[in-house]
Amino acid sequence: MFRSHVLAAALAAALAAALALSACAPSIPVQSAQLLPLTSTQPRMRLTQNVVLKLSTGYSRRLASGSLWRPVGQVPQGLVLQPVGTVLTIEGRQVHEAYLVVSQNAVVGFYLPGESRFSPLAPSQPIKIEGIND
Amino acid sequence: MTKLFRALAVCAFVAVTASGCASGPEYKDVASSIPTMKDAQGRVYFYRSGSMFGAALQPEIKLNDQVVGKSQPGGFFFVDELAGQYVVSTSTETEKSVTFHLDAGETKYVKTSVGLGLLVGRIVPTLESPDDAAKHLDGLHFTGAPVTAASK
Repeated sequence: MFRSHVLAAALAAALAAALALSACAPSIPVQSAQLLPLTSTQPRMRLTQNVVLKLSTGYSRRLASGSLWRPVGQVPQGLVLQPVGTVLTIEGRQVHEAYLVVSQNAVVGFYLPGESRFSPLAPSQPIKIEGIND
Repeated sequence: MTKLFRALAVCAFVAVTASGCASGPEYKDVASSIPTMKDAQGRVYFYRSGSMFGAALQPEIKLNDQVVGKSQPGGFFFVDELAGQYVVSTSTETEKSVTFHLDAGETKYVKTSVGLGLLVGRIVPTLESPDDAAKHLDGLHFTGAPVTAASK
């Protein structure tokens, strides 16, 4: 009797572990977005503080102090900044290349250049960023 | 009997691992003969570390639903494509894809690695920075079509 209870508990634990492992991350939230490219070259920008962005999918992304960003356009939600010399991705069920979208010194979401979509970041995350003269 | 079983197991392991690895020339030997890109095209490198974990998993890699190669441990290859939006996916138990934009003259790097699945492992593509890719490419073997200086 005792043995059968132990076996059942072990099977239940194994099943729970298998389900947990197979649990899919949720998809990232997206909205359609039209990028308006900047008509002139803008000065690059430098992050002056480390920032950790927590995504609604459970993943997070760390932006390093000193990382460089190039303004490439505008979406209704804010200014679009492309990383310089590296890549940024956001992840849910799938992985998406992402540019930052900033407004009023805060990251409000991501522009997905491979899909022409906007993914909001909630809540938005304040950042400290400065323009640099090349 | 136990010794025989062990010997067979070792043989089987060696056979599986030996057949699983990429075997073309190393990156450092072909880097100088890799052709330059044509105008309006960008380049996408695909690579996978030489780790033997999940070595038996070698699915096809698709770029916008077109098969462009296989994910092989210790291997790399590249394709040149017109600038535009792309999706990379692999054909394993569950599909995990990565989307990105390729500019003309730009080089993107996609690493494939083994992830956990419900019943079997799966191959997950991720977009990597040029610096991270450079660290890994050196020891990898070219698994694409032969490249020659004449094709530049």
